[in-house]
Amino acid sequence: MDARRHPEGMSPAEQAVAQERIAQAKAGNAEAWGELYREHAPAIFRFCRRAMPTREDAEDATMDIFIKVRQKLSQYDASRPFSAWLYAVAANHCWDLLRRRKLRQGLETGEVENMPLEHPDPGQLEQLIARRSGQEVRRALDKLPARSRMALVLRYYSDMSYDDIAATLGVRRTFVGVVLLRARHQLRDILEGQGGASLAAGGAA
Amino acid sequence: MIHFDEMACLLYLEGQLDAARSREMAAHVQECASCRDLLHALELETTLLSSALTEDTEPMPARLASEQSQSMPSWVWTLAFAAFAAGAYWFWNDGIGPWFDQLSNAGFGGTDVFSMIVFSGAFWEGWSDMIDAIQIGALILVAIVAIGWIRRRVRRSVAVAVVMSALLFAVALPQQAAAAEVRRGQSISVPVGETVHNDLVATGASVRIEGTVEGDVIAFTRDLTVTGHVTGDVIAFSQEALIDGTVDGNVRVFSRSVILQGIVGKNVTAFANSVDLISKATVGGGMIVFAAEADLDGKMQRDLLGMIGRTDLDGLIGGQAWIRGGSLVVASTAEIRGPATFEGPQQPVVEAGAKLASPIRTEITQEIQRTRRSAARVVFRAIFGYAGALVVGILLLVIFPGFFRATLRETGSIGLPIGIGALALIAGAFLLVLGVLLLFVGVGAGVAGAMAYAPILYVAQVFVGTWLGNRIMGETAAPTSAVAGRMAVGLLILHVARLIPILGGLVGLAVLLWGTGAVLAGFYRMSRVESAPLPT
Repeated sequence: MDARRHPEGMSPAEQAVAQERIAQAKAGNAEAWGELYREHAPAIFRFCRRAMPTREDAEDATMDIFIKVRQKLSQYDASRPFSAWLYAVAANHCWDLLRRRKLRQGLETGEVENMPLEHPDPGQLEQLIARRSGQEVRRALDKLPARSRMALVLRYYSDMSYDDIAATLGVRRTFVGVVLLRARHQLRDILEGQGGASLAAGGAA
Repeated sequence: MIHFDEMACLLYLEGQLDAARSREMAAHVQECASCRDLLHALELETTLLSSALTEDTEPMPARLASEQSQSMPSWVWTLAFAAFAAGAYWFWNDGIGPWFDQLSNAGFGGTDVFSMIVFSGAFWEGWSDMIDAIQIGALILVAIVAIGWIRRRVRRSVAVAVVMSALLFAVALPQQAAAAEVRRGQSISVPVGETVHNDLVATGASVRIEGTVEGDVIAFTRDLTVTGHVTGDVIAFSQEALIDGTVDGNVRVFSRSVILQGIVGKNVTAFANSVDLISKATVGGGMIVFAAEADLDGKMQRDLLGMIGRTDLDGLIGGQAWIRGGSLVVASTAEIRGPATFEGPQQPVVEAGAKLASPIRTEITQEIQRTRRSAARVVFRAIFGYAGALVVGILLLVIFPGFFRATLRETGSIGLPIGIGALALIAGAFLLVLGVLLLFVGVGAGVAGAMAYAPILYVAQVFVGTWLGNRIMGETAAPTSAVAGRMAVGLLILHVARLIPILGGLVGLAVLLWGTGAVLAGFYRMSRVESAPLPT
């Protein structure tokens, strides 16, 4: 399995060790904190790398996130999985940066647009998916608008719940699905632009 | 048959439909191939997205490999603080100290480049025209620092709003609240018989107060003449200041020459080339004088504190006297009612007949410390200074890697940081003088200000040194030891260059301007890390 969601799927013994380590780090044990950092930093860096537009942004964001995490560690509620909490902090940080940057550039689009999405033809969609590699998808992701990219990363990288995504992106809970679906459509359009056939067959509604 | 739309399919896949609808969908899919296909395609898409996002394609950068910035044990902070304190002390000794010595020994005719720029600049003829521009520069600098600082806590728009309103408040309100009268023009005068029932702010080539001002007079001018009556303080930036009338409050003057002929109710503070207290003049309080020469023939009721190149005392000092400078002559007509101290290169001359409460306590200072330094001491100090700078630099690199990187990047764009550095140093010196002059609470405030500034001036060399090292040995960002090596080489070159007479001074000044500007620009960048443009 992938290395991103460590704490989930751990044995009870491992879980106890992890919880103990978090408690020690909370109490100010620098060594425990160092362990915690080494354990989670790669995943958080990869998260930032996917969420932020440049590698340098991702590096800076990773550092800032861990500074925040350390300051906020006392607020961590042990009943929640640690990685989920970590991703929530990271997501908030990155989204905050992106949103502010957008505001500065006057690109904030406000509410989710209500333009109807065309119904895809399942066969063509399947074909498109079969033809595209992970790298092509990542490159396409980088071309998405910030919110769409963020939503996909939160959902399919961090495994975040719809509630948490809604809270992070500042949209209503019922809109999360719309944001995700729209993001998929935008992604398909970009992938298609790389040389595929049209997906929108106007299909079977 | 009623199909489910794509949205519903996605929500179904993600487990977001409520139980009833979910069952409905499951049942429908059993029979409807089209919806089944769509579900399948969406599921494939999810898998593709998931794997594309989680594929480990990029190794973690080295600088993130261990979390350095946060897991610093406390002794590192203690060491860092100690290093900074030591740095500030070295800077004080090597930079500010000699500068003060020269100030007191030779007035303002020093040869030290820094003091020449700051103090000769102070007596430059076009100064009064420049005051506004420099004030604006100083304000902008303060605003940038303030925005950067507040920015760490609140959002940008709020920070800007806070600073802007604070600036407006600072600039506009005091004048309006006090309803000060502002006069601008070539020559401004309050003629005999006229009374200004207000504070008066006057800007012009010449300012003459012959009538009465019931409030303070703040003047930016070439020639200031007060022959009338001012009930408040007189605060002046001028070339020539003549106080011939009556000032009930304090006189604070920053001028080339100051002539006091009338009556000052409270204290006098003067930064000047020459200060004359004419024999008929009376100062109700004490005097603080920074000057190349001072003729004190009149009376002051309280203490004299002076850093004066050449002092002639003919008049009365009601309190104690403390003078540091080149020479002191106490004439037969003079009287000092309190204890007197003189620090200078030679014994004071006390003429017979002078009335002293006690003999003048004298400390002979070495004329110019630098010429007396043995070669060994010079080398020792150079090594010591080099090691100190290197330790501070490495600590900076280890503790604040982000800031270090940002500042180093700024250093690379040579022109901009030098410009910022020059502005900051001039503005800083101006603020220092302004602070001492207007909010006079003793030299302490000025010293405290300089001490706060000193760390920035001190670390300036670190960045220029590292930049130089990068130039010579090739640029690198990691690992830390490689950067430290380049820093060591660059600093070594700078410190060796500094030992060369004259050229060393110029190198030092250039490094100071350049590095200070880079550090300030680095602070600025760090306060807005997220400023890189976002590709859409």
